[in-house]
Amino acid sequence: MYLPETVGAGCAFVDYDNDGWMDIYLVNSGPCDFYRPSTPLRNALYRNNRDGTFTDVTEKAGVQGNAYGMGVAVGDYDGDGLPDLYVTQYPHSILYHNNGDGTFTDVTAKAGMAAAGWGTSAVWFDYDNDGRLDLFVCRMADFDKEKNVWCGGQGPGQRYYCKPNVYKPMPNWLFHNNGDGTFTDVSRESGIAASLNKAWGVVAADLNNDGRMDLFVGSDTAPNPLFINQGGGRFIDNGLLAGVGYNSFGVARSGMGVDSADYDQDGWMDLFVANVDHEVYSLYHNNRNGTFNDVSMRTPIGLTTLMMSGWGLKFFDFNNDGYIDLVIANGHPDLTIHKHHPDLHYYEPMLLFEQNGGVWKNVSEQAGPAFAQHIAGRGLALGDFDNDGAVDILVSTNNGAPLLLRNLAGGQNHWLGLRLVGTKSNIDAVGAKVSWQSGSLKRHLSKVGGGSYLSSHDPRMVLGLGPNRHVDWIEIQWPAPSGGTQRFTNPPVDRYITVVEGQTSWK
Amino acid sequence: MIGGRLAGKLSLIGCAALLSTLGVRAQAHSAAASADAEVHRGVQLVETGRCTEALALIERGLPGVRDKALRYQGQMAAMRCAMATGDEQVAADNLFLMERESPGNPDILYWETHTFSEMAQRAAQELVGKYPDSYQAQRLQAESLESQGKEEKAAAIYHTILEKHPHLAGIHYRLGQIALDEAGDSGSTDAAKEEFEKELAVDPTNASAEFILGELARRKADWPVAVRHFSRAAHLDAGFSEAYLALGMSLAAEGKYAEAKPPLEHYVKLEPDDPAGHYQLAIADARTGDQAGAQKQMALQAQAAARNHSSDTTQGHAVQP
Repeated sequence: MYLPETVGAGCAFVDYDNDGWMDIYLVNSGPCDFYRPSTPLRNALYRNNRDGTFTDVTEKAGVQGNAYGMGVAVGDYDGDGLPDLYVTQYPHSILYHNNGDGTFTDVTAKAGMAAAGWGTSAVWFDYDNDGRLDLFVCRMADFDKEKNVWCGGQGPGQRYYCKPNVYKPMPNWLFHNNGDGTFTDVSRESGIAASLNKAWGVVAADLNNDGRMDLFVGSDTAPNPLFINQGGGRFIDNGLLAGVGYNSFGVARSGMGVDSADYDQDGWMDLFVANVDHEVYSLYHNNRNGTFNDVSMRTPIGLTTLMMSGWGLKFFDFNNDGYIDLVIANGHPDLTIHKHHPDLHYYEPMLLFEQNGGVWKNVSEQAGPAFAQHIAGRGLALGDFDNDGAVDILVSTNNGAPLLLRNLAGGQNHWLGLRLVGTKSNIDAVGAKVSWQSGSLKRHLSKVGGGSYLSSHDPRMVLGLGPNRHVDWIEIQWPAPSGGTQRFTNPPVDRYITVVEGQTSWK
Repeated sequence: MIGGRLAGKLSLIGCAALLSTLGVRAQAHSAAASADAEVHRGVQLVETGRCTEALALIERGLPGVRDKALRYQGQMAAMRCAMATGDEQVAADNLFLMERESPGNPDILYWETHTFSEMAQRAAQELVGKYPDSYQAQRLQAESLESQGKEEKAAAIYHTILEKHPHLAGIHYRLGQIALDEAGDSGSTDAAKEEFEKELAVDPTNASAEFILGELARRKADWPVAVRHFSRAAHLDAGFSEAYLALGMSLAAEGKYAEAKPPLEHYVKLEPDDPAGHYQLAIADARTGDQAGAQKQMALQAQAAARNHSSDTTQGHAVQP
């Protein structure tokens, strides 16, 4: 039994052929030193047929993966308008460059981004505000076949997957985009490598409103780091004193998937991290001074998650009412957990929490049969695969088929979809902040990098308008280096528009 | 001359002193030999089951025995004999003596367990035999059922006790514990809360009940109520270290970091090896502007955490062979 077997794998929404329809990429467990599949296993790219069905185009695209797959991060690192894929794996990862003709090329060696080790989640973001997407890659523990630990009894059926505290933490990777198709590993000089973690999930967001993207990482049995961007290419891990590193007893939890959003609209990005059973998931409210308070116990999230283990998760406005909600995929990591703890289960239901002006409500039971299904949930990606403005959910499961959940709730309200294209700022506009007013509804939404677990999301933003049939204005604050603001009045509703940085009208 | 006479006298005095010392030593040697012999003989008698004679010899001889091994043999024999003859006082005295002279000796710890367990059994038999209808006997029976996991039956007996003795301290507390067990990790704790509140109505000095009520409030993020209960628990029992930690944590959770510091500072003095206290104090320091204090506490937290490095045994996770 090898720990990577129970933790994967991830999934993504990606419009790889730029046809305006979200395609799907699923990561799978390929061969490695501890695993030789009896039949060939590969990752899968499914092209969206625009009718609710998909076609497997993996062979043509050439994105099968070549090791034990974990996660995927989608980003247009070379700014050619085509989304590229970074696939994390054990024992090394891959960068696939999108050729624009339905095929990809493995450019890992040229780019210098193999990241030898056990890569998990990754995120594209522009840490040095040079307008190019850099890459942060989470690294799980110091692990290989030789270092595998036997946990549990020696008798038949008594062995189980180890809790990661038997493995040593490792530094994560940060790759700087050189702008010529190559990257430089700046993990050490940036300060990222100074923090040793067992990293699963990562989200990039400006947590202190200084115009620089910070990183929050979910770390398992090691403190969650909060890498605050100091500028000049330097980060400092302030997770402990910020109050997000440990639980209130000063003990590291099993940090898994993470995300960030300003759920209470106070202008400061808040955080979320899922943990495992008996640890309670954490909703961290931003105190506006570099510190956070875990407020999950003041919400139903606390008690609901007391006995659960969470992985992929994402803040999003599932019903387009203008309030940010939260979805979480769950499942205990240990296949035999019920033998040792009858109250716990390997297969667990997903959770959906609705937020309405600071009040959270568990609406999972009303969310349809998919939320009653018990699954070994792992990756979770958001994307509007049918372009109806209701953001759908893709969930990958461990050793099972993925779930594609079509959102039927978003249609209750009106919406505006935005595709942002940076020109001076990074092309994916990671870090952009969009504000809008629709009648009495005034909201803002920041475009974070990554979030969830091993997964990547539809890059478009959907603004919930509630019952309002019009938008008075939208304002886009582009990330640095431009940092410029553009305002548009009376844009259309219930459709997607594209806004290119610097262009005076939307398309 | 004077000097010569004086020297002679001193010499005589010296001789006398020497003789006297030798005499004392000889007597002491003889006494010690006699004590050793008595204890030896006593140990032999124990082996043949003649406990009454043996005990008298060992008790008389033991104070004079200097040889460690013989003392141990004598004390062990006396303890076993005393238990056989029902002289629990002598048995306990010898056990405590042995523990003081050989702390941590596994043999002594083993016998201690057996001896006190036997004493407990005898006392229980006497209680139930002589006072079968007493609330003490009923309570003992209920506690025994609880330890066997038969909580429903135990609760029934506790309720019976309360019918006759509604103001008896400790019974509602037990019922509260049973209700907590029934609630499990995620069930309702309302019934438990009610019992602990009743316990405090009967016995306002029960610090544990105050603590649990505080903990129930803390779980619901009801910080003002938690603070009230934890404060009382700490006030009732100054050595109740967890109450100080919980009080500090609850105050911090309320955002009252300055108020949280005194109980947390008290806690880290009481429990310097617990990373939780240092962590909470670090957070309180940091959020009251004391960055140096925060860094210091965080370093202490890391040291304590390293010392307490937990094994992989929690919550059904794996245990390494």
